[in-house]
Amino acid sequence: MRRRTMLAVFAASMLLSAAPVSAQDVSGDLVLLDWASGSEQEMIKALEDGFTKAYPNVHFKEINLTVQGDARGAIRAALQSGEKADLFINTWPAFRKELADAGLLRDLTSLWDSAKIGDNLSDSWKALGTTDGKLYGITYTYGDRSGMFYKTATMKKSGIDAQPKTWDEFVANFKKLNDAGITPIAIGAKYWSHAEWFESLYEHLNGVEKAADLAAHKIPWTDDSVKNTLRKFAEMLKAGCCGTAESMLANDWDTASDMVFVQGTAGYQIIGMWNNDRARNVDKLKEGEDYSLQQFPAMGAGHDDVSSVDSKEFSAFTDSANPAAADAFLAWVTTADAANIVARAGLASPSNKVDPSLYGPVMRIAAGAVSSSKVQFVLGDLLPGDLVDEYRVQLQKFLQDPSDATIDSVTQAIEAKAATFD
Amino acid sequence: MSEVALRGSEGSNSRVVGGAPQRTALRRWIADAPAAYLLLLPVLILFGFAVLYPLVQTIVLSLWDIKGLGKPKFIGLGNFVALVQDANFRQAATTTLLWTLCTTAISVGAGWGIALLCALAPRQTLVPRVIIFAAFGVSEAVIGYVWLQVYRGDTAGLLNAILSGAGLGNLAHAWLGDAKTAIWCLIAAYSWAQTGLPLLVIFAATQAISRNVLEAAYVDGATPMNMMRHIIAPLSMPGVRVALFINLLGSLRAFDTIYVLTGGGPVRSTETIGYFMFRESFTQFKLGYGAAATLILLAAVLIVSIPAILQRTKSTT
Repeated sequence: MRRRTMLAVFAASMLLSAAPVSAQDVSGDLVLLDWASGSEQEMIKALEDGFTKAYPNVHFKEINLTVQGDARGAIRAALQSGEKADLFINTWPAFRKELADAGLLRDLTSLWDSAKIGDNLSDSWKALGTTDGKLYGITYTYGDRSGMFYKTATMKKSGIDAQPKTWDEFVANFKKLNDAGITPIAIGAKYWSHAEWFESLYEHLNGVEKAADLAAHKIPWTDDSVKNTLRKFAEMLKAGCCGTAESMLANDWDTASDMVFVQGTAGYQIIGMWNNDRARNVDKLKEGEDYSLQQFPAMGAGHDDVSSVDSKEFSAFTDSANPAAADAFLAWVTTADAANIVARAGLASPSNKVDPSLYGPVMRIAAGAVSSSKVQFVLGDLLPGDLVDEYRVQLQKFLQDPSDATIDSVTQAIEAKAATFD
Repeated sequence: MSEVALRGSEGSNSRVVGGAPQRTALRRWIADAPAAYLLLLPVLILFGFAVLYPLVQTIVLSLWDIKGLGKPKFIGLGNFVALVQDANFRQAATTTLLWTLCTTAISVGAGWGIALLCALAPRQTLVPRVIIFAAFGVSEAVIGYVWLQVYRGDTAGLLNAILSGAGLGNLAHAWLGDAKTAIWCLIAAYSWAQTGLPLLVIFAATQAISRNVLEAAYVDGATPMNMMRHIIAPLSMPGVRVALFINLLGSLRAFDTIYVLTGGGPVRSTETIGYFMFRESFTQFKLGYGAAATLILLAAVLIVSIPAILQRTKSTT
């Protein structure tokens, strides 16, 4: 009798688990650890609103982290201090591994299958969110990090009618911009964004495969590929690309963005696609008219079909108090409703359900560039622990003095730090 | 102890009126001790929670190798050994020394000078004193944002605009992006904000000088300069010592202004031990390493504090 009862309970539970979970079945608080800011945070709020419209019994709560520079420290501090969340936003593959190794992230591989996320996201996005064979992140946006933002009025003022396609054309334009009193490139080197130029240069000179090897420390930082890239960067600096080292080191990415979009004192900036969101929603510029995006110029080294990319994903914590709601959100965020919210905010959605007509001209350029390129994730986000800090500081030293001697010393310093992680 | 015991026996009717045998000093002390400890208890509890417990935790933490959210590994004094060998820490220690000495000397020196001038005309200088002291009341982070606008690298920066206006436009540059000027810019900003307290403390010391002394000097024909040199300045020294002590400790622990203005850069040139500790602990999340740096900073604070505390204790007993 007892055995039969147990069997009946088991059968009933199997039936319940196999039955599709309706929006009404999911309820309770869903807590998101959110470090986004400005208009990007507004987009996250819009996603939350969209989800709670579809799942009215779920109540979104946020743990907001206010951060300057790299947000990982604030996230670690929040977790160590006992903050409990169901979901969090991640953009660093190295950090994902750190959290997964610490047993804090839930494997989402079975959710991918059961919720049929593969119908909305391609396997390449699954691969991007995977660490050590397990899926930990559902990508909701991505960015082209080899695109150069520029303001059309600034180019017009400098007499640049057509955007440069080749490296030589690009460098030749430095004079035109400088003559017009405009710094050709805005680099914010106060914290981290100066590495963007090194990374796009590296990939265009050496290819994405070598960049992946460098990130994994399969080749040393003292390799000729790194030194030659820095020499090319030095050529740019000597050609008057970026103003003084002091001005670069005094600025962060947002002040560099203002130089391009608000003050019009600089020509180009390489930064993530959140800058598109910022230009539209904060600076109130008209996408494609007031400003646009130019893909990194061809360098003729046989690797011009590459693009540096980033992505942002939602991950779920193992100690989530409401895993059902977390799973429902992770599946929903790949649907057309969510993808269109992302697209309306001026960001790219990886979902194949996104309505491409919602993309503005700049986003279309970025999405086209990424889809037609061999891609490599942003190098800085792949480096473990404090290696990324050393990498950024040594690149600051290079900006102060881009000589061959400095190239030797900075590559040795990064290599010494990288060796501690082998 | 004997005074306390005596007062205790006088204040207790049962002991005197009742004609009970005289207790020994030790027995009386034991009898009085519970009351004393009861009065001290709230402070001791607070001290235990707010100081002792975190201190013990920090010491324990400093003995572990913690990287990110990975599993901690006990390494004994390994973090302290690594710190000594860490060129970045040594640079931070040198920067801390420069920073602490300069900000303390400038803020106390300026506060002292202004206080002595104000002492000559206390009523007429009330408004300037309040204005200068007000800066001390403003949060360091807010002060950082104010000075960020002063040091802006473009022509919108106040300092660059003044230089350009004065025909010295060739000196204008990105002050906070230059490793040679960033630390001095920080020192100037922090000293400006910290001048208020020395001014207040030293001015109070000058107001405690007896009028008789000043009047006697005046009657004897002392000039204002003589009175300043031989009476007001020497008698303001107790206030100067207090201000030096407070500002020295404040400078050693300074963080907010550095965080807002330079973030420790460029190339770690403005990184003090306090900032180094923050970066290692909260950006890199090497909590054990950061705790070891914290303890070294604490040792520096104690080395500075203990002689000053002992001196104050001696002068008040």
